[in-house]
Amino acid sequence: MASIIEASGLKKTFGGIEAVRGIDLAIESGRCVGLLGPNGAGKTTTMRMLMGLCRPSEGKITVLGATPTSMPREVRARIGLVPQEDNLDPDLTVRQNLEAFGRYYGLATADIDERVPQLLDFMQLSQRAGAQVMHLSGGMKRRLVLARAMIGNPDLVILDEPTTGLDPQARVMIWRQLLALKRQGKTLLLTTHYMDEAERLCDMILMIDNGAVLDSGTPRDLIGRHVKAHVLEIDKPLPRELPLAQTEDLGDSVLLFVDEVQSVLEAMPPETVFNHRPANLEDVFLRLTGRQLRER
Amino acid sequence: MNTLINRYAFAVWLRNFLTWQKMVWSSLASNVVNPVIFLFAFGFGLGSVIETMAGVPYLAFIVPGMMAYGAMFSSSFEATVSAYARFQMQRTWDAMLSTPLTLSELLVGELVWSACKGMLSCTAVLVVAAIWGGVSSIAGGLLALPVLMLASLAFAGCGLAATAFARNWEFFSYFFTFWITPMFMFSGVFFEIGRFPDFIQVFAWILPMTHLVEVIRPLMIGLALQPLDVLIHLGYLAAVTVVSFIVALYRLRRRLFD
Ligand SMILES: Nc1ncnc2c1ncn2[C@@H]1O[C@H](COP(=O)(O)OP(=O)(O)O)[C@@H](O)[C@H]1O
Ligand SMILES: [Mg+2]
Repeated sequence: MASIIEASGLKKTFGGIEAVRGIDLAIESGRCVGLLGPNGAGKTTTMRMLMGLCRPSEGKITVLGATPTSMPREVRARIGLVPQEDNLDPDLTVRQNLEAFGRYYGLATADIDERVPQLLDFMQLSQRAGAQVMHLSGGMKRRLVLARAMIGNPDLVILDEPTTGLDPQARVMIWRQLLALKRQGKTLLLTTHYMDEAERLCDMILMIDNGAVLDSGTPRDLIGRHVKAHVLEIDKPLPRELPLAQTEDLGDSVLLFVDEVQSVLEAMPPETVFNHRPANLEDVFLRLTGRQLRER
Repeated sequence: MNTLINRYAFAVWLRNFLTWQKMVWSSLASNVVNPVIFLFAFGFGLGSVIETMAGVPYLAFIVPGMMAYGAMFSSSFEATVSAYARFQMQRTWDAMLSTPLTLSELLVGELVWSACKGMLSCTAVLVVAAIWGGVSSIAGGLLALPVLMLASLAFAGCGLAATAFARNWEFFSYFFTFWITPMFMFSGVFFEIGRFPDFIQVFAWILPMTHLVEVIRPLMIGLALQPLDVLIHLGYLAAVTVVSFIVALYRLRRRLFD
């Protein structure tokens, strides 16, 4: 299958800061790919380079067959961006925001008039079409940004933290619409801090930190590669008789990763307080990127 | 340039027009009330002390100056403070640039829009002054408008160039102190610049405002104009527009994409 995005040796330095230090990417058409990494990992910078909004210091990129920094207008029109920060037009209404974007995409008035109500409906914003943007809730604003990115009916949608800061209902609603876009055959590239979201939506995941890819693969692959299938979180003090092969100390408790859980459960003394769950992407993420805080 | 005045640049212009339209009444009110206050002060205040200037009643002398000032102030303000708010506070420019619209089209839209704000102000001055009886030749006043449009483009270009360098609001206090105020004081708004010492006159001719006033005042009070002089003044205004636009474009290209 043809790659829609191909990047090799991508680097970006801001002054002395190496934001991205050699990222390789290949994204096939129709896939949903997640970039996961702590704050400052270089996700936004990578996406901006793919959009042609930021010139790479080194490396080569092809997006839909073109080089982003000199992308022909027709190619540019096939990409929609949901930026990390809301930059909706606060002086315009919900409907006017979409219409203005339609004009920025060079659409004919008739096409704009046809698409705007469809998108308002798709993102369940029809009721608020006449509202000023500043009166919308966070979830509605995010939905409007997503609707705005879809105005040109793009083949590729790049979403930078589309659900950060939203309540669970709003996130579920956005997931549903992203899955609908996937079914329409669109290629999605997204970042998120919610591992359950990545696990649910993404066919492939790139774990990145400090501007480099740590590992990539399907969520299943990554879990299989980096942690064992079961996790037991055991409160301290630890029972002495357990086989402590793969563990992580959390302070008051310890995470124990095991492939085979039955023998451990049998060996556990009855007074031990513990919690058993299957391993997930969050375990992989924390294993690969560490537990220390990134924002000081 | 021709290919930049297209539907994408118009989309930027229209976006600004739509937001302006929401406060059209307060905007028009300030555009009308301002010149009324100025004309009142100068017509009755100064006008009663200075009866004539350059051989015409002081009110007729000051009207072209106030039109030039209105155009200069409004187009400069729109291209600096208002444009900077769209650029850095509301991030409207970021949103626009994530679409097929290019930076040069964005800047053309902003440039023409800012110049239109300048035209709104000077037209309001013309209308108020005509009703007041301070415009001897309506034809001269109408002929001045295209010149004011060209000058407004030059002021808007300089404003956008300043915005391209601005890192914070403080920056604009320098812009107003060292650019707007001199054009208010030294470009012949209130009196002929021949009264200034030579070194100030040399400086005054660097300011686009001086060239604007030098063309529209004779036009409006019915004095003779040398075609070659007019050509030089208009040429200077056009050159300022083009150069400032290119400076803004190159500076923003580096600032946004590098
Ligand atoms: N325009 C910029 N100028 C200077 N440093 C920047 C700029 N953009 C990003 N950075 C730095 O690059 C690093 C990566 O940032 P970013 O790509 O935003 O990370 P992420 O989106 O993964 O949180 C951070 O250290 C950030 O401070
Ligand atoms: Mg980011």
